This record gives sequence, structure tokens and C-alpha cells, in this order.
Amino acid sequence: MTNSLEEFKDELETCFGTSCGFCERGCPVYQSAKVKTLCMKGRNRTMLGLIQGKFEITPAVVQAAFECTLCGNCDRWCALKNTEHTRAFREYLLKHGVEPMKEHSSILASIKSYGNPWFQPRSARNRWAKGLNIPKAAPGKQEVLFFAGCTSAVTKQLNRSLVASARLLQKAGVSFATMGQDEPCCGSTLLRVGQTDAYRELSASNVERFKELGIRKIVTACPGCYTTLKKSMEDAGAKIEVTHISQEITQLVKDGRLKVNKSTERMTYHDPCHLGRLGGVFEEPREIVGAVAKFVEMPNNRYESRCCGAGAGLQSAFPKLSKDLAAKRVAEARLTGATTIVTSCPFCETQLRTVPGMRVVDLMELLLDSVEGEPRNNGSRSSS
Amino acid sequence: MSYIDELAAAIGKEKVLVDPSERFVYGADWSPRTPDEFMPPDVVVLPRTTKDIQRVIKVAYERGVPVTAGGGLTGMLGGAVAIYGGIYIDMTTMNSVVEVDAKNQTVRVQAGATLQEVNDAVHPYDLWLPHQPESKWVSTVGAAIACDNDSTFGVRYGKILSCLLSAEVVTGTGEAIELGHRKAHFTSSGYKLMDLLAGSEGTLGVITEATLKLEPIPATRRVDMLVFPRMGAAVDYLSRLLKAGLCIEAAHINCKRRLKFYTHSYRQKHGKDPDIPAWAEALLAIAFAGDTDVVDSQRGFALKIAKEFEAQLVEEREIVDSWWASKYTLEFEPFKQKWPDSQKEKKFGAADPGVPVGRLEEFYHKFVEVAEKHRLEIIGMNAYLEHPNSIGFSLSCAVYVDYRSADEVQRFREFHDELSKLAVAFEGTMSTFMSDTYQKAPYLGVEHGASLEYMRQVKRLFDPKGILNPGKKFPRQVGK
Repeated sequence: MTNSLEEFKDELETCFGTSCGFCERGCPVYQSAKVKTLCMKGRNRTMLGLIQGKFEITPAVVQAAFECTLCGNCDRWCALKNTEHTRAFREYLLKHGVEPMKEHSSILASIKSYGNPWFQPRSARNRWAKGLNIPKAAPGKQEVLFFAGCTSAVTKQLNRSLVASARLLQKAGVSFATMGQDEPCCGSTLLRVGQTDAYRELSASNVERFKELGIRKIVTACPGCYTTLKKSMEDAGAKIEVTHISQEITQLVKDGRLKVNKSTERMTYHDPCHLGRLGGVFEEPREIVGAVAKFVEMPNNRYESRCCGAGAGLQSAFPKLSKDLAAKRVAEARLTGATTIVTSCPFCETQLRTVPGMRVVDLMELLLDSVEGEPRNNGSRSSS
Repeated sequence: MSYIDELAAAIGKEKVLVDPSERFVYGADWSPRTPDEFMPPDVVVLPRTTKDIQRVIKVAYERGVPVTAGGGLTGMLGGAVAIYGGIYIDMTTMNSVVEVDAKNQTVRVQAGATLQEVNDAVHPYDLWLPHQPESKWVSTVGAAIACDNDSTFGVRYGKILSCLLSAEVVTGTGEAIELGHRKAHFTSSGYKLMDLLAGSEGTLGVITEATLKLEPIPATRRVDMLVFPRMGAAVDYLSRLLKAGLCIEAAHINCKRRLKFYTHSYRQKHGKDPDIPAWAEALLAIAFAGDTDVVDSQRGFALKIAKEFEAQLVEEREIVDSWWASKYTLEFEPFKQKWPDSQKEKKFGAADPGVPVGRLEEFYHKFVEVAEKHRLEIIGMNAYLEHPNSIGFSLSCAVYVDYRSADEVQRFREFHDELSKLAVAFEGTMSTFMSDTYQKAPYLGVEHGASLEYMRQVKRLFDPKGILNPGKKFPRQVGK
């Protein structure tokens, strides 16, 4: 269950008692804005003051809650659950009469009407898989579900990464299905912007649908879906494994089921927050980049990676700040001498592409380009 | 027109925060206080330039409004808390590196740069700023000077004043003046007014820029820990090493209890405290740094003569590494950072006296006695060598404070005051790294006697209306 703000009071007081401020150094928003309420130490104090009744909810309080990408960098340096505090802060404000930000309330409306946050018809989910001959999930017919995720599925420019994921699985002979236009939203965005009740309802219904289909394992290409679906399974106590496509594919490369050609191009890897810091998947994407190109690391990597600025509703509600963060990350990548930034998240990919000067490539697209051979089957054969 | 309106007109309203929630977060630092003991300023300003600060202080001077400047707000005794409200200047918005002069081994920075930001900027030149408190990620250059805080490497490089060549400061009238000797590493000219800034707590002016001396990054560092049957034996050992001509980079004597505070990552891994011999009463952490063969040679000599002082090397590297991570590298396991992990129930509180070397052990027993008298759980004592190539100590006499209990916070403050006064009776000093703040202001005469009046005169010269961080060092005096 998701905690309400009052339940974090002890933690907020612990932060006050500690007051080390170690969260400030890596916080992308604080380092850009330099306002103390926009970093965890200050935000925790804001929440504490609110609970203590020291001040009312003001636009500055709302800004403190929502001007954050929930990237989790603060959690790297702290034993407290800071990103959970922020998420609970948002929920608290919405339950205390604060209207959702208009950019965020439209997300809720879209998910209710269309099953995705982007006002696209459900049928748009079918587009990316055309011609790939992937079976549709049916009760008892498959164990592995490839979960595309709303953003990549309904955004034409991002379809290629899904195609690459599916083709790589096919080339390696993995049996899997998709849900086509019946694939639901995982609820990640709802969770991040404080729409917790709506998230819980959606999450519970999703788990039931997966169970009805007899799914044992979900492979997803979206880091936000990855952490959210894992949370859904944990909350529901469901025994369905959730993995990210990079984990799945790396194993297939190691097993020799995908042959890779290596180039001499210098490439760096940007850790999506949900996959890396929040999901704990660091090495597999690096292994893939290292297998296909000359891999160079950015100074801030793995747990210390800097957010691209797209997450948790920041891109929609605070576009200027969001772009500043992307520019900083691309500048860091450029200093490595790499010509290409590889990433594995539709949000990061889109966001980093807004900054000119460097090629941004999805991890699976990169790998597919370097893999030899043709599809060995149509996705209907069992994996060994 | 209110003075806040004047501030907005002077520097731009986007640099002025007035919302109660935004001001609230500036109302407390690291010092033990209860959660409802926030003392927020009336307005916060976010300057970008020295001119901004001059404009702010000119408004404050005209209106007689208190001005408190702060950095990371990690002070341990409330030094940057605006206890009389007024204007708080958040210096962290001024964090630019102005110039690196690699040949001269100096850097010019805006005073709101954190010590880590300075080091990040000079690292490509194979240089570093060796003033390194544990709070270096958030402690700013200006705050380090104004608080005169501690450094892990004091025994080799001294504290911030040893690195400071020049500083720009805005006085209490809004005038910007440069104190110091530009890029020269030392001077024999004039009065050393720059030195007054160390530990001045922003009561003489707001430090806006500083030129700092850097050092080459040593190729190798070796850190060891030795246990001793008595603190006095560890002191004698260090004196002997210095007499022998060794160049020690860091030396910290911990009492046996204190080690536990620094070994969280060890406990995380092994689920128990490190095994230290039952007879050991003191633990010396010691570092040598430089070229590998020089380091090996000095370390070899130091370890060879250790047995003459009844010392024993701590062989389990994880104990040493755990301490060093906590003290310097800050490379904690993800999500297991030591501060909140160790302070969920109570927090760290300390007195920071200095006593003559020969009376260290005697003072340690007094510390235990005073802490017990005030019913405070003892963390322990740490004696840091903080004067270059010398045996002088900073003492950290630490206790846990239940900061949710007003009574315990009060008992902590009484403990702090009693120990501070006791240090003077021991022919020592009340403060070696936390400065005076409002806590020691009522009894500063115990330490300074008649010279306190000269200090008042200095304060008036820099700050005629007494608007700069009032209540710190001296009780507030409303100017004419």
C-alpha cells in the first residue's frame, strides 16, 4: 500500500535531525534552480512544516512537490525513502484540495478514455507490430508477454525500438505474445503525479488480466513500465516475473543465440532513472553497447547518473527546466568524445533528441543493426 | 515601500523569496534542535553577483534590517540561522569558478561554491583543495571560512585559512573590499585583515569571492589504523613521528566508543561491530600520501616504531576502509548512507574545545563525567590534528541528542556550555571548528577577557549598525 504523508513524519523528522544536505549535489533540479525547496532536504522540511501547520498550501508548496523528476538521485545518498516522500507529497496535496496541474489531469482523462496517457486511439497500439507476425496473448497459450508500453506503442517515431525488440527476440527463437490493442497502461504516470487511487485501481485490474491470460513472465521495453509492473506484482503478491528487454537480450547474446558485429564508433550510455537507479539494471545495457561499439562512460553514471529531465510529469508541466536538464546531460555525453548516446527508454530518447548535436539511439535498435542473420521463426516456437 | 519591495527593485523579484514555505526551510541548520524550533528569516535572496549582495546590504543598512548569509546550512551550532529574522542571503547561487591558475596553484571562486565543486573544477589540472570537512559536498567556501570548520587533512595542510590568499567581502555598509594578498602565497605587508574572516561567522561582512591555494594531487595514499592502550600513548606516538620528520597527511585519535559512529558500512555488511582488542582505549587513524616509494618508506618507519608505544596495527582492512569512507571518500553503499541510518532516534551533537596536548586524557575523563551528569548518551571523543606538522588538536566531544525532546536538547546545550568553559580552565579554547554562534556569545568573555572589547571595536568598524548576523559572537546591539 502507498503511504500517506503523515505516515512519513518520523522520516521527515529524521531528515531534519540529520540535515546533511548530501542530496543536493546530485539533484538535477536543485543544481539547475538552486532553490532549497526544490531538493529533498528542503522538500522534506516543507512537508514537515506543512504537517506542523507552520504555513498553508501555497503555489510555492505545490511547486516544491511537483518540480521534481522523481529520478531517485537523492535516494542514492540517503537511507530515507525520498522519492516515496515526494510521491506521497503530491498525493497529499491532491487530497487536500489542490487541483491537479492541467497537464497532469489531462493524462488521467486520457488513460480513462483511451488506455494511454497520450490521447491516441487504442488501435494505435497495433501499428508497431504490423508484419511481424506476433501472436496475440490468449488464456493459456503463452507464458511470456512482451509489454510494449504506451509511449513507444502509440508514438510513430518510437515504434522502431519495439520492432527491434521483437525482431531480436524472434531471431533468438524466443516464444512470446503481445496484447495488441488490449494492452493496458501500466499506470506509471498516475503514480508519479500523485493520482494514487486511480493507479491502484488500474494496477489491480492489470494484474487480474495478466493472471487470466496465464502469463508467467512480462518482458518490457519501457523502464517506467518495468518498475511500475514490478510494484504492481509486489503489491498484489502475484508470482509473475517482470524483466526489462535489455536483461532478456543480454542473456541471449551471452548464450550465443544472437551474433553481434562490433564497430569502432565511440558510444556512451545514458542510464534511464527507472531502469538504473530505481530498477537496479546497470550492467546489461553496458554489455550490449560494449559488444557492438567502443563504449565510453560519462562521469556521472549508474547510481550517479543524471536525469534527462523528462520524468514524473516535469516535461509536461515545467518544459523549460526539463529542457535545461536534457542539455546538461547531452553536454556531459559530448565531453566523453562519443558520437552517439545510447539509451533504453522512450522518454529519455525523445528528451535527449531535443538537444541538437548528438545522435541518440535506442539500445535495441543499435543491437539489431549489428546482429547477423534472419528471423529463425515467427515468434511461435517455444524457447529452450 | 517595504524593504522587501526595495530588495525586489534592487536585484529583481525573481531573486527574492517571500513565501512562508520557502523561507521556512532556511530556519534550521545541522545543530541539535527540536523539529518545531525553526527560525525562518523574513525574506530570502538568491544573489548572482557581488553587486547583488552590495545592493541587498545597502537596503539593509538604510533600513537597519538583520542580514545573515549562509551556504549549505550544515553548521553544528546555529551559526547561519537568522535568529533575529530579516534577510537571509543564500550564497549557493554564487558558485562560479572565476579562474584557475594552474602554474600558481590557485583558484578564484565565488564564495557559494561548495568545496566539492571547487575540487571538481581543479581536478583536471591535477590539483586539489585539501580543506576537507565531512560536509564538503554542501559546505561552501564562504561558510568554511566564516565558520573556520575542520579538515581531515589539517595536520599536513592546515585548515581553510592556510589555503586562503585573498577574499572579497561586502561590509555592513555595502562596500566591497578585497582583503589579502592577491595570488601571492604569503605577505609581510599591512595588518592581516583577511585573517579576521576565519571564524567571523559573517559578522564582519559577507564573503563573496575567494582566492585559494591548491596542492598537487598525491599519487598514492595509505590509511592505517592502530590501537593503543591509552590516548596518551597515541599522542606520544604522533609526537615521535613528527619529531622523526615524517609528513603525516591525516591523524585522528578516536576513543574506543567513537569508532562505532564511523563504521556503519562495516555493520551493514557483517551485522556486528568491528572486533577491537578489549585492552584498546584509543584508535589512531593515520594517513600518508605522496609518491608510492616515499609513502611506503614513511609508513614503514611509522609502523616499525609503533610497538614502542604499545600499539597494534588493525589488520582487518574493512574496519579501516569503513572509517575512511565515512570520513573522507563518502563512498557508502547505495541507500545506506551513514547519517540518517545512524540518527533515526537521536542525532549527533558536540562541543569543540581545544586543550593542551598533555591534558588530553584528563579532559577526556571530564567530557565523560559532564556528559553523564547531563544524562546524555556518549558517542565519544575524536582528537583531530589540525595544525600543519604539529601536535595541536581539535576535539570533538560528541553525544547523542534526542532532538524530539526539548528537555534533552536543553541538557545538550548545558553540556556544551559547561565543557566549553572547562576547556578555558584547562588553559585551552572553547572552539576549534564550530565557532561561537549565539550559543557561546553570552560567555565569550570567559575566553577573551579584555580583548573582547577590541573585537567589538573591529566589529563596529566593519558593521557600524550591527546588522550582520546579529546575536552571533556578541548579543545583538541595535545601531544608531
